[in-house]
This record gives sequence, structure tokens and C-alpha cells, in this order.
Amino acid sequence: MSFEVLKIMIKEEWRLHTSLFGKRMFAFFPIMIGISAFIASMFLPYIQTIMTTQQMLQSAHYIFILFGVTIGSFGLAGKEILNRRFGQASLVAYSSRSLPISERTIFLNFLIKDIIYYVILWILPIILGLVLATFFIQINTISMLFICGTLVLSFLIGLSIVFFLSTVYAHSYKLLIAFLIIGLIVFLFLMNYYNVGITTLLLPYSIYYNLSINKFLLILSLIFVPSALSLIFIKVDYPEKKRQYKNSLMDLSYKFKFSQHSYYIAKDFLDLKRSEGGLGKIIFSFLFPIGLTWLFLYIFLELIPTVKAIMIFAVFLGIVSASIYNMLTAFDTFNPYMFLPVKVSTIIKSKIISYLIVSIFSFIILILVAISLNELEWFIPALFSFITISVYSLSMTIYFAGLHPTILFYNSKIFAQYICTVGPILFVFTFASILDPFIMLASPVLLVPALFILKRSYIKWDKWKPLNI
Amino acid sequence: MSVIKMNNLTKEFGELTAVDNVTLSIEKGQLFGLLGPNGSGKTTMIKMLTGQIKPTNGTAEILNIDVLNDPINVRTRVGIIPEQETPPSFLTAEEYLEFVGSIRKIRNIKNLSEKWFEMLDFKDQKNALCKDLSRGTRQKLMVAQAFLHEPQIAFIDEPLINLDPIIQRTLKDFLIDYIKKGNTVFFSTHVLEIAEEICTQIGIIDKGKLLHNGPITELKNKKQHLEDFFLKLVKEG
Repeated sequence: MSFEVLKIMIKEEWRLHTSLFGKRMFAFFPIMIGISAFIASMFLPYIQTIMTTQQMLQSAHYIFILFGVTIGSFGLAGKEILNRRFGQASLVAYSSRSLPISERTIFLNFLIKDIIYYVILWILPIILGLVLATFFIQINTISMLFICGTLVLSFLIGLSIVFFLSTVYAHSYKLLIAFLIIGLIVFLFLMNYYNVGITTLLLPYSIYYNLSINKFLLILSLIFVPSALSLIFIKVDYPEKKRQYKNSLMDLSYKFKFSQHSYYIAKDFLDLKRSEGGLGKIIFSFLFPIGLTWLFLYIFLELIPTVKAIMIFAVFLGIVSASIYNMLTAFDTFNPYMFLPVKVSTIIKSKIISYLIVSIFSFIILILVAISLNELEWFIPALFSFITISVYSLSMTIYFAGLHPTILFYNSKIFAQYICTVGPILFVFTFASILDPFIMLASPVLLVPALFILKRSYIKWDKWKPLNI
Repeated sequence: MSVIKMNNLTKEFGELTAVDNVTLSIEKGQLFGLLGPNGSGKTTMIKMLTGQIKPTNGTAEILNIDVLNDPINVRTRVGIIPEQETPPSFLTAEEYLEFVGSIRKIRNIKNLSEKWFEMLDFKDQKNALCKDLSRGTRQKLMVAQAFLHEPQIAFIDEPLINLDPIIQRTLKDFLIDYIKKGNTVFFSTHVLEIAEEICTQIGIIDKGKLLHNGPITELKNKKQHLEDFFLKLVKEG
């Protein structure tokens, strides 16, 4: 590790964000996260009436693992996104080409920078919000601090695992599939022959109740070993090698001829296919979080059998699905279109169509989950709920962040507006789903304001001055 | 007939005035060279004239279309070679030209693309991803995309800077031939030799102010070198 490189990378990240929407708006972001965590914590006594403390803690640990996985995925994609936008020469992450510093050192610093950044931006504010709330609700502050510590460990495990899996993927996706299959077999073996449950494997949670040095060392090894392995076996894709591709834009565009934006959609799919780790990006930033959400809900179902897990899953799936839009926009700024006769709204509309096409994955996942949970009778209300929440959150994302959600959501004002408009709907949908799944048959009513907002978004973004990225 | 008109065109970025109250008109069939030092406002002016950014003050018309009211119509009719923008990374060079052709609704795009690959000598690169192309080849691609639809006006921002001398010659000949057909070029550069060689009219801009506008023949008749004239004008401010 090189402290100087790390310092410069952190400066670079800070300047990148603050240059886009000002120091104050960016610096306020973690404060807002802290306030949100504080407000959410105030509901803990109410949640305790439907869930036990144990169930709540387990859920929180799973969410933090999931969070680590998601952040790790975006962090890895981030390097490529920056490359796309700024070119390699302007980034410290690419300085191994021009300076006497190895790619491994750069990557290590990149990982540490990402961890520091996300801990400061997200984890610490959440912890402070939770701890502060203990002074107002009947939860012991020391216990909360201890919980926060175990939550951080969960987050780091998630982050470390995704780093490792992404390195495996960089070598061969077949190897990744083999790893995942072996992992699943080992897990099933442990579960069936040694009666080890999923919750037992949730080590950070288990040390809260039974602190042992062995478990703690095991947790540390779960954090450091995968990270170390990913660092040792790091594979750098040197873009100097020129890749040649058969012309497939028009053929692909023909497949989407139902849309007047067919060539934009074809371009989106070529971007996804040809960008580094194209399939990996879908796996890590969409399918993996969905898989973990499903796992989490499976446990949730065991804990609270009366809840229709498919309904809760549909709500989460709707929100996670909206991240596909972020992925589609992350690799495409408006700048290459500025000198062509193209409106911002045209690009947004084409991204929506691409999003809807990729959402077929989500639809299939929802069917599979309904079958596996044996809750097919709730499939229609779950589908309504999923469609409504995903269209609504997509409309809000587009209204507030246009073509730049991955950047503009770090503007605390924009993020607060998004949370205030999507958060309450998420709460209402979750509780309505618990109350009576059939209420969700009325959920498409929300599509009316969602589509209205979408229409307003087109007008808003056509007037907009492009970001200098 | 004036095809490019601007009246009191001004652009301010905070306290910086990038383009300061410029009034100018360019007749059809001219190869207008906008000359100026780095940061003098050349790129900002091109961006305003093509509706990529809005002026703080003033008006601009291209082919009698108000740029502020109808920027898409302006960009439909003109070709633009930007200074910095690069084609989307994950399309090949050939796909990019087809992509632009689809946006501009050009019919025989395959043949037109081939013509440009041949002319600018980068046929061997047509299946390479845009992100893997060298700076010069990307520049060639941007030249090709700007002229695919055979526009009446081309706005070109520092077009020759990354090109080798052979391609520079080809492009210069193409531009001379292009204006002979009655088209117009608005060309920005700080390479004075190129401007002196091919431009029919020149404008000199510094710190956002237009210091000079006139036919290049004026200087040639006075047997004055463009470089001496430019340096004197810019130093005097």
C-alpha cells in the first residue's frame, strides 16, 4: 500500500463529487444518511411489536452483508465508469501506465479508498444515527455500539466476498459458476449433515450473543482472506489490446424494431455486452443482491410464517430492479450526443425501453420465487406491486437524476427528495402487503402520478444544461 | 446571403466572460476561420452557435433558424466536429457511423461510411471499438460523422490537430472542394498556417472579444503575414 497514492485517490474522489454539485451538497450527504437512520431507529419499538429483537438483528446483519455486496459491485463498476467518462490518463487508478507503481498497489489502494469512502459516506452516519436514537428509545447504548460493530463486520464480509468473486470472474466466468455451485453444495452439506442453519453462518450476528475469540478470528479471515486472494490473483485487463467485433448494431437494432429508438437500445445492449465484465456487472449489481434478498426473505418467512414473503420480495425486487436503469445510464453520458440532433428526453426514453426489456429478468425471478415459496396464489398481487413500485421509483429516479443517477444521488438535496418520495410509498406497500396482499391489486393507481412525473421529467431534462463529465 | 448570424452574442461562466458581445455574419460559401489563443472563447462560440449551450445574452441564427428556439433543427442541418467529445466507447467505428446515420435518418449509410473509411484511410480500423482507437483515428471518425449527411454548414473545432500530414492534406482539399459546392465552414483553430492556407475569411478572438473580421485577401493584398497580424492584434488587445 502507498499512503501517498491513497491520499491522492481520496482527494480525486472528493473533488470529482464536489465539482459536480458543490462541497456543501456533497458534505451534507452523510449527515442526511445519519438523520434518516436516526428517524428509522425511532420506529424500532413499533417494529419490536411484530418482530423479536433477534429477528430484527438478523435482518439488519443480512441487510448489511447485502449492502457490502452492492457497494462492492458498484465500486468495481465505478472504475470503468470513470474510465468511460474521463479517459484513463486523468485517473490515479490508471497511473501504473505512466508511473513506476504496480497495478496491484493501485488496486489495493483503490479497494481501501472505496472502503474508507463508503464507510464515511454510509456506514458511520448510519451507526451515529442508530446510537443517537438509543438516547430516545429504550435500547442500551453500549449494546447498540456493539451491534454497530458487528454490522460493520457484516458489511466488510459482503464487500470482501464480492471483491473475491469478481476476481474469479475476471479469470473465467465458468470458474465463478463452479465456485458458486461448490459453495452451494458445501452449504447444503453443512445444513443437512451437521444441522448448521443459515443463521449459524451469520457469524457477526452470532458473536453478539456469544462472543468468542475463535469466531472473531473466523470473521476476520472471512474479511481478509477473500480480499487477499483477490489481490494476489488480480487480473488486469489492459485496454491496449485492440478488440475487433463483427458489425452487429443494425442486426440487433432490427430485433428492437418495435421501438422507434431501436438503435439506441441496440447500443445499450452492445455497451453491456462489450464493456469489461459485462455479464459480471449484471450478476454483481443485480442478480447477486436479488439472490441475497431472496435468501433473506426465506429466513424471514421461517421467522414470521404468517407474512406472505412473495409480497415483500416483490416490493424489494421493484426497488432493486430500478438499479438496472442506473447501470444502463452509468456507461453513457449525454456528451457524445450533444453535437447530434438528439434531445435528452430521447435518450431517457430509449433507456426506459432498454430497462423494460432487461426487467424480463426480474419478472422471471418473481415467478421462480413464487414457485419456490409455493405462493403462486399471491403471484398476481405481487406482480402488480412489483410493476407499480419499479415504475414509480424509476419515474422518481428519472425526474430527480435524469441520465445521471449514479452521480446526482450523491447530491444530498436530490437524494433527500428521492427518499422522501419513494420511502413512504415503500413503507405503505410493505405494510399493506403484510396486512392483506390483495390490497396490492389497487396499487397500479400509483402508475398515474408516476407516468405524469415521467412526462414532466422529459420537459425538465430537455431544458437542462449537461453536467461537465 | 448570410447563413450564420450572431448578434451581441455573450456567454458568461460566473465571473468569466467567455464570449463578449460578438456580432458577426458569415456568407454562404465561405471557409471562415475563427482564430484565437487557447481559452479565447472559440469553442464556447461554436457550442452556442450549434445550440449545445445557451448564450447569456444575444441571438444567433443558422440558415435563418433561431438557435435558441430550435437547436435540434440546427443540429439536423449542420455537421459538427467537436474539439473533445469522443464517440461512444463500445461501438466499433463502423457501427458508430451507422448509429449516427440512424439518428440522422441517412439511407445509404453503408456506402457513405465506406467512402469515408477509404478517404481518410482507416478502413482497417472499422471493426475496432471506438475506445481502443488512437486519438487520430477517433478524429477521423468524428470528421466522417460530421459530413455523412452532406450538411450545408460544418462547424469544426480544431479538426486537424491529431491528424498526420497526409490526412491533413486530404481534409484540407476536401474542405476547399466542399465550399466550392456552395457550402459553408466555420472553422476554429489556433494553428495560423492552416487558416492562412485554406480560409477565405478570418475572425480573431481574444478574451471573448472579436478583434477582427474580414477576408483573408485583405491581408494577402497588403502582403502582411497572418502570424504577424495576429500577434500584433492579440498583444494590443
